[in-house]
Amino acid sequence: MVDLRVELAGIKLSNPTVLASGILGDNAALLRRAAKTGFGAVTTKSFTIEPREGYATPIIAEVKAGLLNAVGLANPGYKEIKDILPKARVNGVPIIVSLAGSKIDEFVEMAIYAEDWGADIVELNLSCPHVSMMGMDIGHDPAFVANLVGELTGVIETPVFIKIGLTDNYMEVVSRALDKGAAGITAINTVKAMAINIYAKTPVLSHRYGGLSGPAIHPIATRVIYDIYREFKPPIIGIGGVEAWEDAVEFLLAGATAIGIGTAVSKHGLTISKVVSDGIRTYLEREGFESVRDIIGYVHRK
Amino acid sequence: MSYRVGRVKGVYAHTSLLKSLTIELEDDLNIIPGQFLMVWLPGYEEIPLSPSYADQNIVRLTVKGVGETTKRLISLDTGDRIYVRGPYGRGFDLDKPGKYLLAGGGYGAAPIIYSAYKLSKLGNQAVYVEGAKSIKEQLFIDEARKLGLEAILVTEDGSSGIKGLITDYIKQIIGEFDILLGCGPEPMLIKLLNMCIESGVDCQLSFERVVKCGIGICGSCVLGDRGLLVCYDGPVFNKERLMDLSFKEVV
Repeated sequence: MVDLRVELAGIKLSNPTVLASGILGDNAALLRRAAKTGFGAVTTKSFTIEPREGYATPIIAEVKAGLLNAVGLANPGYKEIKDILPKARVNGVPIIVSLAGSKIDEFVEMAIYAEDWGADIVELNLSCPHVSMMGMDIGHDPAFVANLVGELTGVIETPVFIKIGLTDNYMEVVSRALDKGAAGITAINTVKAMAINIYAKTPVLSHRYGGLSGPAIHPIATRVIYDIYREFKPPIIGIGGVEAWEDAVEFLLAGATAIGIGTAVSKHGLTISKVVSDGIRTYLEREGFESVRDIIGYVHRK
Repeated sequence: MSYRVGRVKGVYAHTSLLKSLTIELEDDLNIIPGQFLMVWLPGYEEIPLSPSYADQNIVRLTVKGVGETTKRLISLDTGDRIYVRGPYGRGFDLDKPGKYLLAGGGYGAAPIIYSAYKLSKLGNQAVYVEGAKSIKEQLFIDEARKLGLEAILVTEDGSSGIKGLITDYIKQIIGEFDILLGCGPEPMLIKLLNMCIESGVDCQLSFERVVKCGIGICGSCVLGDRGLLVCYDGPVFNKERLMDLSFKEVV
């Protein structure tokens, strides 16, 4: 029997699949359901200091090779972590709490709170491509990210991951964050994009811009994971268009320790985690590996 | 799935605020009664609507003008464009054998009358009951009769048909049926569910929540503490699924 267990900065996952942030996760019942369905860990939606309604519909646009979304970081505000986390916890499945903010003080306040209420990992959303003064707007600045991570790792013991997107300077951002004590990297977020309806002659999303996810970004994510692993070998949660176990194995070989799944939940339901982890198991058996850990970053060995 | 572009073929005003739009699409979306479409008017919001009729490339949407988008929808004219994606969600299972009791409250009657069309095509026995505030807001009683169904109107003010609440009337007759299909305000659905549990009648009920993405990822339409999604697991839930939720949680 092959071993599917992995560790993210000391946090044990029964299998490498992770419910990605932004999918279903600002409700305890939904996180609980995801955890019960077989995810190795679940990530909350990004919490912000104040509750956010999110954008008006349309918040998603279905495109050829994926999905565009501009949900607008809808969430009930970080204080709800107190109610959500204890109810969401089931079968010991780790909970990654995603946080989004504009200022270091905000992140510090929320991270302490998340730690107090049992977050296993704090993930900093430094890459949401559709909310101004948050996400990508702050995450592309290596100096800011370095200060932010330095402050946080000084006040909380919970491992801090940074979630990055596609920028020209992600290697510098990653490097500075790891120097300041980031425990791992989540890569990648959706890619800023747009869809226009040719008959309406207008962008579909109410926010106009959105984040592209799904199969279209999978090879991009593979490249980013490969680059980060080659240079720094941190724990990586690889995300981007994973729809099948083959996609997950590709990320593992590139250097990811865990595999985030988001958009595919809409097509395949939450049971996708089970399908992917079963597929990884079969692959490992057939290829003669005893543990999933044996293939993490395998391509770099040749 | 990207948008299909439809054209309004006809508008029927039930009241000044409650209208049925007949939409012509380019192809057949094979919509099961109870499933919904995400309907978009550029410049306005995108909203979920469960058709009150569909046949091949024709879809009928019954809309109450309450917000900006629905008010715009009911002001559309013949020839205007309308954008839809879908269908999404789980609809009514009409293949179960037995005698059907169809219960529609307010504009929740939309997927119920569409079910009536399908059931009469399938040759299943059904009785149609519609609850409305008054005769003015009555929607599909005549249509149900044209289908050859027994159709009963229940009005709160007694302006036509039976006076009272639809749930009170259904309580009297439910024992004669094998399966109940219901759509309407949530208090009505909870009462119907409890009646079905007490009387041992099977049921399928369509619930409403704020649906934003329509495809089971944003989580805005969660129902109950088991994390059911109205857009993905529903909007139609069967009795077993609903019994799993406690009364309080459903409310």
